Amino acid sequence: MAWRRQLVGLSTIITVALAWYLATSVTGFISGGRFPSPVDTWAAFRQISGRGYADGTLLAHALHSLRLVAMGFAVAIATGVPLGLLMGWSRRAEALINPVFLLIRPIPPLAWIPLAILWLGLGDAAKIMVIWFAAFVPAVINSFAGVRAVEPALLEAARMLGTPPWRFITEVLAPSASPMIFTGLRLSLQASWTTLVAAELVGALFGLGRVLNLAQQDIYPGMILVGMLAVAICGWLTTGLLALGEARALAWNQGESRPAS
Amino acid sequence: MASIRFDKVQKYFGRGEKRTHALANIDLEIRDREFLAIVGPSGCGKTTCLRLVAGFEAASEGAVSVAGKRVTEPGPDRAVVFQQFALFPWKTARGNIDLGLRNKRMGGEERAKRIADVLKLMNLDSHADAFPHQLSGGMQQRVAIARAYVLDPEVLLMDEPFGALDAQTRVVMQEELVRLARVRPRTVLFITHAVEEAVYLADRVAVMTRRPGTIKEIVDVKSMREAEDWNRFERIEDVMDLDSFVHLRTRIWKSLREEKDS
Amino acid sequence: MESGRIKTGFVMGPKLSRSDALGLGGLGLAGFLGLWGALSFFGIVPVEFLPSPFAVGSRFIDLFAEPFAGFTLPQHLGSSLLRYLYGVLLAACIGIPLGLAMGWFHLLDDIVTPIFNGLRFIAPIAWVPFAALWFGTGIGGPILIIFAGAFPPCLINAYRGARFVEPRLVEAARMLGTNHGRMLTEILLPASVPSIVAGLRVAAGLGWQSLVGAELIVASAGVGFMMVQAQASVQTTTVMAGMVAIGLTGLAIDVALRQGERWLHNRLGLD
Ligand SMILES: Nc1ncnc2c1ncn2[C@@H]1O[C@H](COP(=O)(O)OP(=O)(O)OP(=O)(O)O)[C@@H](O)[C@H]1O
Ligand SMILES: [Mg+2]
Repeated sequence: MAWRRQLVGLSTIITVALAWYLATSVTGFISGGRFPSPVDTWAAFRQISGRGYADGTLLAHALHSLRLVAMGFAVAIATGVPLGLLMGWSRRAEALINPVFLLIRPIPPLAWIPLAILWLGLGDAAKIMVIWFAAFVPAVINSFAGVRAVEPALLEAARMLGTPPWRFITEVLAPSASPMIFTGLRLSLQASWTTLVAAELVGALFGLGRVLNLAQQDIYPGMILVGMLAVAICGWLTTGLLALGEARALAWNQGESRPAS
Repeated sequence: MASIRFDKVQKYFGRGEKRTHALANIDLEIRDREFLAIVGPSGCGKTTCLRLVAGFEAASEGAVSVAGKRVTEPGPDRAVVFQQFALFPWKTARGNIDLGLRNKRMGGEERAKRIADVLKLMNLDSHADAFPHQLSGGMQQRVAIARAYVLDPEVLLMDEPFGALDAQTRVVMQEELVRLARVRPRTVLFITHAVEEAVYLADRVAVMTRRPGTIKEIVDVKSMREAEDWNRFERIEDVMDLDSFVHLRTRIWKSLREEKDS
Repeated sequence: MESGRIKTGFVMGPKLSRSDALGLGGLGLAGFLGLWGALSFFGIVPVEFLPSPFAVGSRFIDLFAEPFAGFTLPQHLGSSLLRYLYGVLLAACIGIPLGLAMGWFHLLDDIVTPIFNGLRFIAPIAWVPFAALWFGTGIGGPILIIFAGAFPPCLINAYRGARFVEPRLVEAARMLGTNHGRMLTEILLPASVPSIVAGLRVAAGLGWQSLVGAELIVASAGVGFMMVQAQASVQTTTVMAGMVAIGLTGLAIDVALRQGERWLHNRLGLD
């Protein structure tokens, strides 16, 4: 039945594309000032990839945004995962840190944006800070939960085998917690993109959010759509990369049930 | 006339390398108002037989028909009592029993009357408005049977209905089922692991081989029951003491044993 | 053999006593607030960038009476909550029925899933320009963005709930001759309630996030709007008081929904 599913999916996408074309270009049912036609969108795409828009080409904007997400995300992993592991590992660390964490956690990452701008201005540093905050929370929570969900029997087995602490952390604790950690990282990545786009929309000099912002001010629907699609594609690419990393890191997790082919 | 016919039925699951041959050439007729029990080794395809009649699965080859009509989909003319009861947890006992009647677009008064009847028949009067999780296993199973019986189905399909019950409750339920079968006889396909249960309840007992399942032999219980007049006893243990009962039970048991050991 | 090195007390050791846990927690909080207070008190960070916890607290209280950016804090919160409610309700009213139907009708699933998967990668906040263009900055624009944030969990959880109902229950219903409409309302919907409620909780959280984002960018009232106005005039205290208000409200919503979920589970006899 898989082929039927794909057939229906394909025809749906073709129908939607056709409806888009008919509603905008042919019948004018949707005016070009509200939603762009395929032609408008293509023109906007040509403009931004050639001459550029908002001081840069699409590629430059996208790379700028990607770089910020990568940096904020990396800082969040580097701080959040160890903190979560530590809190999972030691009840004392948990008791010490958790109340502070609970105090800060209800504040949505987006609510840090005005403060970040006040502190660090409209440049890259403010963006990295809010992305860090956004991606930090899921990283901590899931690493913590991952450690707490480790089979007690595994810990006992490792102790029975006389595993020294460092090896215990790297070869027992981290791998058994890693499925949860990756779940956290997926959420972190999603939060990173949302936060970046929001931060760039509030105020930025460069990046995909800046493109969206300027296009909104110029009432340029074609460019808005190009910007949105670019954000979606960047999100999709990074999610795919993370999934690839997860598949490699967690190959053992699929077990024997995985088909040999 | 609601007889069940299996006509040279083959059933495969999956395809290619992983295809399993579940049923091989099943040829069987369950007569109108007959109580037929199927016993067989685990995984031999008993449940599959029942699901074919219920219309949850389709035969790969051959045909299954009920009252002369080929089975194509599930319907209230073939009520099923599941091993794990399958009561709707969000409906009361009454709500569970009512659903099938409402689906038949029956009027409110008629439904109320039928439900009251079946509740009384199954000794459930005092628990009509309890939710399944508030009922014991035995009572849940009674609700499941009531839900099937209230539809007045031509055919009743039961898949190890007492498998999840403790030994005492099980005996009570078996006696009640016999009582019910005398008050309202139906064409019944009954699946069980327990040979005693099959001999006690059924008119005929079909023994299946290991997978791919076929009907190995069919043992007639009804003529023995009538000849020895088992029905004069109320209690199951008195019947089970009879030589004629022991004889049949041992015969089926041996036939099954050959399957398990080979 | 070094097996003695890992003591029970070290990894997931026994529970701390209540007084130990409270003491350590208090220490953590005191350290955090103390550091913050010290940074601003001793002028290590200029006060206009990092006001003391006390200043933020008193500003938070002042804002209840004193209007900022046109309204008092409760008025801002009121208009935020109204939009939020509309957005989340709209997402639930469309997402849940659609998700249930997709879980039952395979054709609908095959049609909607590719569209949904395509749209899912667009961060809700990226709808801002179109939201402003189509519905303006009053109430319509933010609602679209809240909707975009809250819709996916409503749809996905209803879908999963319907798709992964205990198959025996579906078979039992089919055997009883249940039609499609009744199957959706009397079997799939109640069976999916736990999953739907969990989805609503996620949706409420994501919706609240989206609301904040939307108000920072397109709004003429609301807590987020108040915060950008404060940022523009470098009033850090007001910005942080806004963060407190947002955090507290979000927390209250989450706690209320958790309670509701627990009540429902008890009621349904789950767990
Ligand atoms: N949906 C299915 N997909 C694949 N294989 C199946 C499916 N249903 C049953 N089978 C296989 O068909 C065979 C017969 O299964 P069935 O459930 O009918 O056995 P059974 O006699 O009822 O066993 P038990 O006594 O344990 O209940 C088994 O080998 C089982 O693995
Ligand atoms: Mg079975």
